[in-house]
Amino acid sequence: MNSFQINVFYTLLKREMWEHRLLFVGAPLVLALLILVAILWIALQPGAGFLADALRQADLAFEGLPVLQLAPFLFWAGLPFIILLYVCCIIYLLSTLYQDRKDSSIFFWQSMPVSNCTTVMSKVVTVCAVAPLATVFVLFILFCLAAMLIAVFGVAWDLEYVSYWRAVAASLVTLMLIYLSAVMSSLWLLPTIGWFLLFSAFARSVPLLWAIGAAVLIGFLEDMIFSTQYLGNWVQSRSNFNQYILFEFQEIPAKVFNYDMMIGIALGSLLIAGATYMRRFID
Amino acid sequence: METLKRLVLRNRYTLLLTVILAYVGVIVIEGTLTGREARVFDLENPYFDINIDQEYLRSRANR
Repeated sequence: MNSFQINVFYTLLKREMWEHRLLFVGAPLVLALLILVAILWIALQPGAGFLADALRQADLAFEGLPVLQLAPFLFWAGLPFIILLYVCCIIYLLSTLYQDRKDSSIFFWQSMPVSNCTTVMSKVVTVCAVAPLATVFVLFILFCLAAMLIAVFGVAWDLEYVSYWRAVAASLVTLMLIYLSAVMSSLWLLPTIGWFLLFSAFARSVPLLWAIGAAVLIGFLEDMIFSTQYLGNWVQSRSNFNQYILFEFQEIPAKVFNYDMMIGIALGSLLIAGATYMRRFID
Repeated sequence: METLKRLVLRNRYTLLLTVILAYVGVIVIEGTLTGREARVFDLENPYFDINIDQEYLRSRANR
């Protein structure tokens, strides 16, 4: 890969983020804003003494815990953002190739020195690595503001924190864990990403219905004709959050280098290749 | 090989069918080799059970 190709790929990533900034940056920002407003609203209520007690209790509970053991507790604060990221990624995957054909921008991009493979890969990398980065950036801002608010509340309510700075350090470790979890889940769910991209490139309308309908129909036909449920079992085997959510860094090698991950990546690549070839057929 | 490629890339439907067949084929082969297949959804109603008299069934078979 020479510098020109790297520049082209970088430009495509920037294009994806620019075109879908509301989805990948706006949506988590709104959620962060809602959480901050909710915290402020609760704190400014007349009977907010329980919040001071809760902060004191949390501070005592965290006392003496090392940063790496503290991080999984803070991970749960980022869970709504991870769920939002999944929802945004599904919307993005279903609309991205479909939208290219609908607004005819595919003709422009195909007239440029950019192959279909590079374009589709830029969309996959956007979902796997760039969109989680945007979410983590918004979470970083939220954690900074939350740390400031907690410090202000501490002064206002005369609290003495013992593990404040350790909690701040743990929140940075949590951000890394959240990013790695998002990347890991993208790799683990690569067949799903490929499936959505395939139908986004195929459907003339309502790609969501095509993607879900085809999966249900194939599973139903398999059960009816062959009396087997390989497809249903495959979907079920990919639906366990424990397989790709990280709470410790030590889990990474075992979760990345295993048979299930590799077969998922292989099958996902097959579907992504199908989506790439599908871009030949323009309405 | 060229004929096969032309056949697969004839139109969007042949391509979709080929990709889905390849995908499902790999899942079935992998499931068979690793013993992954299992009954995920039990479509039988556990609250509804017909107990037909065995004598009656035998009499029907010998009719």
